[in-house]
Amino acid sequence: MQGIQLRVIIPVFPGTNCEDDTAAAFERAGFIAEQVIIRNITPSALAESINSLAKAIGTANVLAIPGGFSGGDEPEGSAKLIAAFFRNARVSDATHELLDTRKGLILGICNGFQALLKLGLITDGRIRSQSETSPTLTYNNVGRHIAKYVTTRIVNNSSPWLSKCELGAEYAVPISHGEGRFVASGGFPEAQIATAYVDNPNGSYNDIEGATSPDGRVFGKMAHSERVNKFVAKNIPGVKIQPIFESAAHYFD
Amino acid sequence: MVYRSYTLKREDVEARNVLSDLRENLGIAGLTACRIAHRYDIESVSAAALDAAKNGVLSEPPLDEFYEAELPIALTSSAALKLAVEALPGQYDQRADSLAQCLQILSGGERPATAYAKVYLFYGDLSEADVNRVKAYLINPVDSREASPALPATLIAGFSEPPEVARIENFFTAEPVDIIVEYRLAMDEADLLTMREYFKSENRLPTVAELRVIDTYWSDHCRHTTFLTEFLNVTIDDPEVQKAYDSYLELRKELGTDKPITLMDIATIGAKVLRKRGGLKNLDISDEVNACSIRIDAKIDGKDEDWLLLFKNETHNHPTEIEPFGGAATCIGGAIRDPLSGRAYVYQAMRVTGCADPRISVANTRPGKLPQKKLTTTAAHGYSSYGNQIGLATGLVEEIYHPGYEAKRLEVGAVVGAVPYKNVRRETPAPGDVILLLGGRTGRDGIGGATGSSKSHNASTTELNGAEVQKGNAPEERKLQRLFRNPEAARRIKRCNDFGAGGVAVAIGELADGVAVNLSAVLKKYAGLDATELAISESQERMAVVVSPEDAPRFIELANAENLECVQVAEVTAEPRMVLRHNGKVVADLAREFLNSNGARKYADAYVEEFPTLAPYISNEPLDTLVEKLWFCSQQRLNERFDSSIGAGSVLVPYGGRFQRTPAQVMAALLPARGAETCSVMSFAFDPYDSEANPFSAAYNAVILSVAKLVAAGCDYHSAYLTFQEYFERLRDEPERWGKPFAALLGALSAQIELGIAAIGGKDSMSGSYEDLDVPPTLISFAIAPADASVIISPEFKEAGHGVYLFERADWERITRLIAEGKIISAWAVDTNGVEGGIFKMSVGNEIGFDGVGVDAIQAEPGSVIAECTETIDGARLLGTTTADFKWGELTTKWEGVLCKVFN
Repeated sequence: MQGIQLRVIIPVFPGTNCEDDTAAAFERAGFIAEQVIIRNITPSALAESINSLAKAIGTANVLAIPGGFSGGDEPEGSAKLIAAFFRNARVSDATHELLDTRKGLILGICNGFQALLKLGLITDGRIRSQSETSPTLTYNNVGRHIAKYVTTRIVNNSSPWLSKCELGAEYAVPISHGEGRFVASGGFPEAQIATAYVDNPNGSYNDIEGATSPDGRVFGKMAHSERVNKFVAKNIPGVKIQPIFESAAHYFD
Repeated sequence: MVYRSYTLKREDVEARNVLSDLRENLGIAGLTACRIAHRYDIESVSAAALDAAKNGVLSEPPLDEFYEAELPIALTSSAALKLAVEALPGQYDQRADSLAQCLQILSGGERPATAYAKVYLFYGDLSEADVNRVKAYLINPVDSREASPALPATLIAGFSEPPEVARIENFFTAEPVDIIVEYRLAMDEADLLTMREYFKSENRLPTVAELRVIDTYWSDHCRHTTFLTEFLNVTIDDPEVQKAYDSYLELRKELGTDKPITLMDIATIGAKVLRKRGGLKNLDISDEVNACSIRIDAKIDGKDEDWLLLFKNETHNHPTEIEPFGGAATCIGGAIRDPLSGRAYVYQAMRVTGCADPRISVANTRPGKLPQKKLTTTAAHGYSSYGNQIGLATGLVEEIYHPGYEAKRLEVGAVVGAVPYKNVRRETPAPGDVILLLGGRTGRDGIGGATGSSKSHNASTTELNGAEVQKGNAPEERKLQRLFRNPEAARRIKRCNDFGAGGVAVAIGELADGVAVNLSAVLKKYAGLDATELAISESQERMAVVVSPEDAPRFIELANAENLECVQVAEVTAEPRMVLRHNGKVVADLAREFLNSNGARKYADAYVEEFPTLAPYISNEPLDTLVEKLWFCSQQRLNERFDSSIGAGSVLVPYGGRFQRTPAQVMAALLPARGAETCSVMSFAFDPYDSEANPFSAAYNAVILSVAKLVAAGCDYHSAYLTFQEYFERLRDEPERWGKPFAALLGALSAQIELGIAAIGGKDSMSGSYEDLDVPPTLISFAIAPADASVIISPEFKEAGHGVYLFERADWERITRLIAEGKIISAWAVDTNGVEGGIFKMSVGNEIGFDGVGVDAIQAEPGSVIAECTETIDGARLLGTTTADFKWGELTTKWEGVLCKVFN
């Protein structure tokens, strides 16, 4: 990485719970991971959090929204609390500046993917409000949480997040979500589908597991590629290490 | 001015499930359709924030229909039933709370007042009887009620200054029984007389607060009064039990103890004896009792580190029985806080539950009870949503089926945590030290939980105990986990206690002999709580820590940085008394010695009948019918609700193999540190049918099998430790009922002494009775050991052409060696379903067949292990070989389908 230290900012919302696994995955790939805890016990704590996140994004190469249950997936729908926070003008501006001016990258896994999609960052690469035909993520068609290993296939590796993944490569990755069904009444561009379920567990449109923005620099996925470690899931066969974090580091070389 | 809106999902999975549930399980054939409208009431928020909330918070345009003020006539006019349901006042409602947080984020101002109600719209034709059955099915009066359709004038509850705590004027004059009835106490008359003696000596009347605090302190839940009851006469007709009892008396001589003979003594003497004999070297002893704790050598990034491994099992049988979602959620929430209060990061959980047949029709539900299907599915939802939200990997989930659990459901959470030894500082609190309360605010929820779970129950319970049920708030507890993981915070804690049963009075009262508590400093969810409520409320997600005065400011700062509230509420004093003050007035002032007396001594007799001898482990069913038995069938659909991979440390996932079908017999997870190579391995064992026939031998076998499972996973059994969960019928004063736990604990003790492994903790719940119905005698053995993660193996067959052998208990050390050498690559500890049952489960994971004859007839002693070996093994019995030809496809489908109507 020619000496430059890459920085990833990981916001921690009330209910976020994958921040440490996500930080570990980025650090293994050579990043410095900084977690920003969003505090909302008082209006002043909230104001400070808005400033510190906006400032932190301004210094980062990558913004990664981790998985979890922000606000307990309430009120009645996931990632609403995260989305509300990013719609704050200061945070939106910092996010757009990262993408448009500094050509940075954004990742969202599980709850993070739900947030990116509901913010418009996957569809358009910009934060905007949802319309009736916007794609979104909602309750699995079984109507309950599903936690298991699934096989996902790389169907498009043109995104910087997937440069180190072979086209067609298959990985065994754990999912754990209640709202992972990708719906798109208005359709969703083929070219933006990055990773697909080999055996669709939740009823997702076109087997979508992960999708990118039009230019590929924003990537959201449901399966937890960060949950890897030596000795993990010894009773599950298959390739478990999906080098998306390494791909991101490579992008900045 | 209250703003109201309604949101409906265009395509509503939940409404679809409610409809089919009511039609199929409740048999409401006239129902043709159902819609669910989410009704939100909001007060005092800026118009701008409200507008922003309409797209994204109150509704999501791609998914929802959204209406302000009123539902459209089109939806309501044709509805046969319009039913609005809301949480009882004072119950935590995460939906309303998160709405308020989102609105605050949008406004940047104060958090607005919010309220939520779920409005069911039912279509079709419903008789009045149907309507009442639907209401009874959908509304659990313990936590919710039918909501008024009217728009309230305000959501902000009127502030009324709570009355001062009264003294009990008739305390010395009234009949003890009248006071017990009037105040619905858990204590008995003897306890009340003991209390009278004390207040005579204090020469004053007790306050209501004091009465409640003492009732809580002395409740079975907090003080194990049943386990501390002294046996006067013991009569034993079973020769095996008599032999075990004689050896127990010998062990008492060996220790030179003259303590009374109690269930507690039988449960704990094994550890004491083995320590005296020089065993249990890793046991971590301290005055601070948070959870079972052992010191282990951990490998982190190739370096050796000194770590503490903490584990704890906890039950929430009573709360889960009356309100399965909240009860099961707070079961795991409470279990986590025990190792957490010991500064350990809790990284893995096991869930073991007991249930009657959940497939029986709802129509056959016993009056005053919830249907078994609703109990088991709602409890699974409650436990999993809490565990999944806090981010805890659930490594093993198993439900035990037995008709007796209709008396009261069994809901056990067992958790494992770990922490570098250097992060833990333990000191005896000194006068002048301050006690900080951090985490969630205090409300009315959970008042009387400890005493409630210690009372006997009948059909009226569900109405009366409403206030005794708590709701969990996992995101709040997640913050505590993060804070305690920070060495800078952890190293400032001298002593810590979680708020389990009993609330402030017990949690803070237990921290030091002398404490002065300022109840007015306790942060409240809402105004109007009186001193008694503040003292005994069991509101979740709170911790109390003792720090030296100079450390307090920094600790509070670190807590705030984690988005946690933290305030000083008490101080350690020299005088051994617990003093509670409210608004400057003393409301309770009790001598430590009196509180710790645990009330009047209790006495009982035990009688043990002669039990039938248990057969060795052999399947008493042919495989093609066994696969459809509740006690054998696949529980994968239940398991899928629980996150098993978070933390990136699960060495094994619950169902292994290419087809994720072979259940792992242990849960194994890496220590919560980057580069950890050491893992903890935990198992459990118990069979209700064996235990019903012979609680003595069943408990003995449970210990052996729980350890055999560790061996089959690759652990060295000499490094194992145990903890027990006892769950028995209410013992009353009937010697034959006392004889059951008495015999079971003696069986477990014999196994501990034989193996040289001891139980270093446990939890008892002795209230498993409902009217004439009792739970089966239940003693669950949990076994845990640290291990090198590189050696851990799983049970599913790995490859065709390997020899499959049967090893005996005497071979345990050899098995460990063969696994380490890579010569055993999959192994299964034989359970009550015998050798053939084990081979079937090993086979399905990768669809690798088995070729061998007569395995159905093999009688295997507890402790036997089936192993797939890569080379010929002398001195073990060859059962057959693995083959590429998998013949059990149809049986597998049956095996997986048994519970599909219960767990979708």
